[in-house]
Amino acid sequence: MSSKENTTFQIHYFASASTYTGKQTERLPAPLPLPRLFDTLESMYPGIKEKVLSSCGVSLGDEYVDVEADGEGDGEVVVIKPGDEVAVIPPVSSG
Amino acid sequence: MSSTTPTTQTDQIPPHLDPQTYPRTTTNPTLNTHITLTYHPLDPTSALTKISSPNAGANVLFLGTTRNSFEDRPVAQLSYTAYPPLALKTLSKIAEDAVTKHELLGVVIGHRLGDVPIGESSIVIAVSAGHRGAAWRAGEEVLELCKEKAEIWKKEVFVDGQGEWRANRDRDAEGKLVQG
Repeated sequence: MSSKENTTFQIHYFASASTYTGKQTERLPAPLPLPRLFDTLESMYPGIKEKVLSSCGVSLGDEYVDVEADGEGDGEVVVIKPGDEVAVIPPVSSG
Repeated sequence: MSSTTPTTQTDQIPPHLDPQTYPRTTTNPTLNTHITLTYHPLDPTSALTKISSPNAGANVLFLGTTRNSFEDRPVAQLSYTAYPPLALKTLSKIAEDAVTKHELLGVVIGHRLGDVPIGESSIVIAVSAGHRGAAWRAGEEVLELCKEKAEIWKKEVFVDGQGEWRANRDRDAEGKLVQG
């Protein structure tokens, strides 16, 4: 593991999210509590929350996660750890 | 800089966007399901071969091909991107669920990525069953579930150079606009 992977996670953007950020992937500082992900992206890409993220899912590893879960209901707040892989998943269009 | 330092290039092109890391496949030998993501042309004969069985009385093959227009605008080319960690998992579950639900003898789902020229296939689905009813129903159901769920995105590049990402949820199976 390189030093970069000790302090960052990888986030992938697809379709409209890729167009909006102008990137296919990048590294962001970790750890980051999952409920803060969208605000973090909004600060980097103003307007992305309403225009793109509101219709997107988010995966952590190979599982979908609930970015809104703040830990008040059941369970603990999910934290994105260094070396994790996150993806922003817009509405799909295979076939 | 030492030679072991990851290059910026590696960060810019993640493996899932690098055609060199394809084809990627997932197979379930027990249920006879075969999933493929590939940058090469799809092979319908090979798909049918994978599901052929002496117990099968019906084999249904579907090829989705790229159309030359969208709402009367001429389309120059289509390009597909996938996120394999999720897409392979989603497609495998669709295929396995279909085998169980419709008592199928096999399912193939293949999707082409990258640029797909007009008239060529972007998706192949092949299912086999003892009888035609189950095969027809399963074939359509598998396709609709793929379009609804698989983590794959289509970009239509128009003749005027503009590109637009599509969302399947905006259109039904007849191509009609779905009112939100």
